[in-house]
Amino acid sequence: MDPKRLSFWSVDPTSSNLLMFVIGTILVGFLIVFAISKAPTQARRPITWLLTFISGGVFVLFQYWPQPINFDKKTHLPANGVESVGVLLKDATSVFGTVSQVLAAFMLGLGIFSILRIHGSKIAKQQKDWVFSVVLLTAMFSMVLFGFWDFHIRTAIRTTDFDNPSNWGNVNMMRDFLFEGLLQQMDAAMFAIIAFFILSAAYRAFRARSVEATILLGTALLVIISLMGAVAGAWDGQVDAIAGTGSSKDLIRNLRVTEIASWIRNTFQTPAITGIKFGIGLGTLSMALRIWLGLERGGK
Amino acid sequence: MPDDKIGPWSIGSPFGQQYWDTGWFGLLFTLIFMTFIIVNILRARSSKELFIRRIPGLNAIDEAVGRATEMGKPILMVPGLSDPVNAIAVQAINICAYVTRTAAKFSNPILMCAYSASMYTLAQEVIRDVYQQEGVPERFDPDSVRFISDRQFAFAAGVSGIIHREQTAATFFLGEFYAESLIFAETANSIGAIQVASSTEATQTPFFIAACDYVLIGDEFYAASAYLTREPVLVGSLVGQDWSKLFAITCILCGAVSQSIFSCNHAKKVQEVIAASGGDKAKITEGIANVKKEEKSAFAFSKLFRPGDVPEDIKIDRPVNPDAPATPAEEEGGTK
Repeated sequence: MDPKRLSFWSVDPTSSNLLMFVIGTILVGFLIVFAISKAPTQARRPITWLLTFISGGVFVLFQYWPQPINFDKKTHLPANGVESVGVLLKDATSVFGTVSQVLAAFMLGLGIFSILRIHGSKIAKQQKDWVFSVVLLTAMFSMVLFGFWDFHIRTAIRTTDFDNPSNWGNVNMMRDFLFEGLLQQMDAAMFAIIAFFILSAAYRAFRARSVEATILLGTALLVIISLMGAVAGAWDGQVDAIAGTGSSKDLIRNLRVTEIASWIRNTFQTPAITGIKFGIGLGTLSMALRIWLGLERGGK
Repeated sequence: MPDDKIGPWSIGSPFGQQYWDTGWFGLLFTLIFMTFIIVNILRARSSKELFIRRIPGLNAIDEAVGRATEMGKPILMVPGLSDPVNAIAVQAINICAYVTRTAAKFSNPILMCAYSASMYTLAQEVIRDVYQQEGVPERFDPDSVRFISDRQFAFAAGVSGIIHREQTAATFFLGEFYAESLIFAETANSIGAIQVASSTEATQTPFFIAACDYVLIGDEFYAASAYLTREPVLVGSLVGQDWSKLFAITCILCGAVSQSIFSCNHAKKVQEVIAASGGDKAKITEGIANVKKEEKSAFAFSKLFRPGDVPEDIKIDRPVNPDAPATPAEEEGGTK
C-alpha cells in the first residue's frame, strides 16, 4: 500500500499527490454536472437515478456485507478479501456522506441569493416594513464580516490565547457581541416563548368538550399530580395508610398516584409512541426504497 | 486462525460483526419488508384495486385551500427542518406539490419557507414544475419559495413573522419538526388560520394535536401521496407497509408466547437447582450460572430479537499493518 494513501478513498493531507486528487475530483465533478446539463431532458432522470442508485447501493451493501470483528485498521490489515471489501465499504460511506455535504454547501449560495433578492427588492421598492429588511441584511453581512475576520485573526496569530477574553481585540469583541451577545440570546428568547405557547395550547386541548377530551384531561391531571412531589407524597401516604398490613395491601397500593402514572406511561404511552415510530420507520423505508429504485415521481 | 469458540457466525465464515449471534434477523426483517413493498407495487401496477381507508387530515387539504381562495389570502407551507434533504423532506415536498397544484387551479397565492438551502433549491424546482404542468407557468412567483435561515429559532422567528404579516388563511406544517412546532402552530392559530400538520417526530405530534385543526399521525404522513394521487406505485407501497405491519404484529405475538414459555422453563430449572443444592448458597449461584449459560447457547425465538454483542476478547489472526505506529515500551507507558 502507498504509505501516503490512507485508504482507497483518502490520502494523507501532507501527501504531494493531494493537490492532484483535489483537481481531478473537481474536474470530474464539473464534467458530471456539465454532462447532465447538456443531456436531453428525457435522459436527465435516468442519469440522476443511476447516481442515486450507486450512492444508495454503497450504503445498502455496507449494511449487508460482513464487517470485520474487532478490527483496527491502524494496527492490522484485513485478513481476507471479505474483510477488505468490508473495510472499503465502511470507508466509502463516510466519503459519500461528505459529498452530500459539499453539494449542500454549494446550494447555500442559492439560499443567500434568495434572501438578497427578496429583501433587496423590498428595500428598492420601499415596500411596507422595508426597514426590517435593512436590519436583516445589515445583520447578515455584519455576522459574515466579523465572523471571517475573527477567524482570520485567530488562525493567523497562533501564539495568542484567544480563550482568554483579555487578549481580544475590537474585532473579536464585536464577533462575540454579535454571536454570543445577540444571536444566542435571541435564540434563547424564542425558545422561552414555547413555555407560554404550551400553556395556551394545553388550555384549549384540555377543555372537556367531548368524552375523549375528558379522558385526556383526567389522564393528564393524574400524570401532572404524580410529578408534584408534595401532592404525590400525600396521596401515596394516604393509600399506604389505608393499605396497612392486611392481606390485600399490595392490591390497594396500586392506587398510589405514582403507580397509576407509571402504569399510564408504560402501558399506554410507550406502546403507542413505539407503534407510531414503527409506522414512521416503515414509511421512511418505503419512501427510501422508491427513491433508490427510481420509482418515486415527486411532485406529480 | 479464528478462535474455535467464535462459531459459525464469525469472520471464519462469511458473517461479520453485524451478524454476530442472531443479529442477522434485523437485516432479514428489512429484506422481508422490502419484498412486501416491491411485491405490492407490482400487484398495484397490474391494475388490482387496492383499498385505502379515509384519512380526514388529507381530505382537509382541499377544504383549507378552498377557504384560502375564498378569503383571498395566501397558503403557507413549511416542509420541515430536514437538513440535508432526506426521504421525509421529499415526502413533505410531495404533499406541498399537491397543495400547490390545487392552489394553482384557483390562482391562489402560496408561500413556502425552506429551512435549508438544499430544501429551498429542491422546493423551488418542484413548485415551478407544478405550475408548468398546470399550464400556468406565469403564475409562479419565484419569491413564493423562500430560504429563511438554517438556525432553528431564527427560522421559527422568520416563519412566525411571515404568518403575522401575510395573515395566511391556511398553513401546512409537514415533515421533521422539533421544539419550534408549537411556535408555528400557536402563531397560526392566533390569526385563525386553518392548519394541517404532521411531524415524523413522535414527541412533537401531541403539540400539533393540541394546536392544529387536522393532524396526520405517524405513517399517515407517508400515506398522503398515495391517498391523494392514487398512483399505483404509491398505493402498492402503502399496502406493502400494511403487510409489513401485519407481519410484525405476528412476530410480536410469537415472541410474547415464546418469551413466556422461556421464562416458565427458566423458573422450573432454577427451582430444580435450588432443590438439588440442599440450601448451599454457593451451589445455587453456580447452578443458576450454568442454567443461564445453557440458555444462552440454546436457540430460542425470543433471542432472535436480542442480538448479542461481539465479545471484546475474541482474537482474529490478521497480518500486522506495516505503517502501524510503534507501540511505546512498557516503561514509557505502553502495554505488553
